[in-house]
Amino acid sequence: MILWIVLCLVFLSLTVYFVQILALRRKLSESYGLTNFPPISIIKPLKGLDDNLFDNLESFCKQDYPEYEVIFSLQDRNDPAYRVAEKVRNKYPELVKIVIDSSYNALNPKVKNMISAYKESKYDYFLISDSNVYVEPDYLKKTVSSMTSDTGLVTNLIVGHGGKTLGAKLENLQLNSFVITSVCFLDKFLKMPCSIGKSMLMRKSDFEEIGGFNAVKDVLAEDYLIGKLMHQKGKRVVLCSYTIRNINEYWSMNKFLNRHTRWAKIRWKIAGLKYFSEPLSNPVFVSSLIPVLEGFSKISMTAFILVVTIKIAFDLYISRLIKSPIGLSGLLIPLKDLITAIIWFVPLLSCKINWRDNLYIIGKNTVIKPYESNSSLKVVFNRLKTVITG
Amino acid sequence: MLLCDFHIHTKYSDGSMELRKVVDLFGQAGFDVIAITDHVVNGDSMIGKFAYKFRFTVTEKNFNEYIENIRYEAKRALEKYGMIVIPGVEISKNYLSSEKSAHILIIDIKDFIPACASYETIFLEAKKQNALVVACHPHHIKGEIRNTLYLWKNRNKYGKYIDAWEIANRDDVFNVVSLKKYPYIANSDFHKARHLYSWKTLLNCDKNVVSIKNCIKNNKGVAITLFRG
Repeated sequence: MILWIVLCLVFLSLTVYFVQILALRRKLSESYGLTNFPPISIIKPLKGLDDNLFDNLESFCKQDYPEYEVIFSLQDRNDPAYRVAEKVRNKYPELVKIVIDSSYNALNPKVKNMISAYKESKYDYFLISDSNVYVEPDYLKKTVSSMTSDTGLVTNLIVGHGGKTLGAKLENLQLNSFVITSVCFLDKFLKMPCSIGKSMLMRKSDFEEIGGFNAVKDVLAEDYLIGKLMHQKGKRVVLCSYTIRNINEYWSMNKFLNRHTRWAKIRWKIAGLKYFSEPLSNPVFVSSLIPVLEGFSKISMTAFILVVTIKIAFDLYISRLIKSPIGLSGLLIPLKDLITAIIWFVPLLSCKINWRDNLYIIGKNTVIKPYESNSSLKVVFNRLKTVITG
Repeated sequence: MLLCDFHIHTKYSDGSMELRKVVDLFGQAGFDVIAITDHVVNGDSMIGKFAYKFRFTVTEKNFNEYIENIRYEAKRALEKYGMIVIPGVEISKNYLSSEKSAHILIIDIKDFIPACASYETIFLEAKKQNALVVACHPHHIKGEIRNTLYLWKNRNKYGKYIDAWEIANRDDVFNVVSLKKYPYIANSDFHKARHLYSWKTLLNCDKNVVSIKNCIKNNKGVAITLFRG
């Protein structure tokens, strides 16, 4: 009986994944309508050295676009990214500005990093872009083309690229399967507003209407909240079919585990009970239950291997769709899927987040507060003290 | 100040990355000056013979190709990143005994110098080529079975030939160098991508090879920093 239930779940899981791939296919087939090109301020918050940083930053200075500016924002001149930013500015002095300021109050370090740059930016259209993103020269034109009068936010699909270490290969496999298909599925079939922080184009007037950075300064998923607030204000949140590259070359396993644990916690705090449907998009995990429940017999292992093979074939197809060949890394897909399945359980046990050396406790809708290691002990002590002293 | 690393290996010896990728890794990270210093190993010991067999060494035969490729990459790095790449080697005299072993960086090398030559010959040849001589990892490294202590043990004899000593190598710091007030630099001894994050040298001088070498020799305007991403 249990075996039949699991087999049904496996079938359902493969179907869900197939539907997600269909969503990606449909999304990628959308065309761009090139219209007018308003001037744009690109804000790039920098912290630490990302892989390929120089090329990533420079790719924003090579845009085939009539009028735009690029602002690199940092909180500290001693940040190693500053040297790289300075070199790019020296190469493109008319285009690039560097803003260094850490005076604003915000728990979200990325938001804190961007406030000054936002104030310095001169155009009404502004684009927030992460430092680990590499774009082609037609990126701005194609992204802007999705910005119609009723649109509040345009965001882009991300494709992981350049894995050279095990951690980076797993990261790219995860971005190029679960992440990209889930985003397209939510956008295409569930019509949910999806906003991806790696690339967000907005008008200042719309952004200020939803409260600007003040509205998102103390949440972890500022991108999600911006999208949600825009949607609530009646503005469209558009997922542009133009893909941008997230360069991950020399990631350690720790970095991979840390990022996906953090993202899983974010999804848990945003989705609530819907989070429990997520394992259905991981057929490898669901099929691994067959040998676990039925023993490692010939039949159960055959079923498991069959599902793994189908999953690898699906992911190879996705890699063709997004023009990002997997190569031999494809053999790591089952390992990656099993690791992310284990990660899925972590948010149910812990709400502590480590992001860029800052520790937080994450609450509902990803509201964060600084983590204090002995906070619960302190609370008990203070309560006891109050009781004793009356 | 110029952010520098003068001790970097590629696939020309026992590094794990191709020369071009190494240059790009440092360029992308905003470095101002690097030296590529692959091993030239002595073939007169068992360890040396092993290095030759598995091609963990630059040889007289491929030296010109090695230098040519570095110069090609140097040109590319200067144009793209504004980063200076200096050709060099790490003369590696390896023996079973740590007391007998020594590694010497020859920075801005022009012609091949064999590692089985005597120390005096190596130093004099390096001086003739107007190259910089650096004693690398000259003292005990934590957890290392085989150290390279020969130069430190014989510093009174050879100190006059050495332009600088590595005061820090990757994660290790050799405080004996500072106690003796010797000229110093700090390097990563780069073999893998993760070695990027290690001790480095900061130089306060003009950005050209002559000024860089003079700055190290005179050891004024030199600082070290533990580079973290």
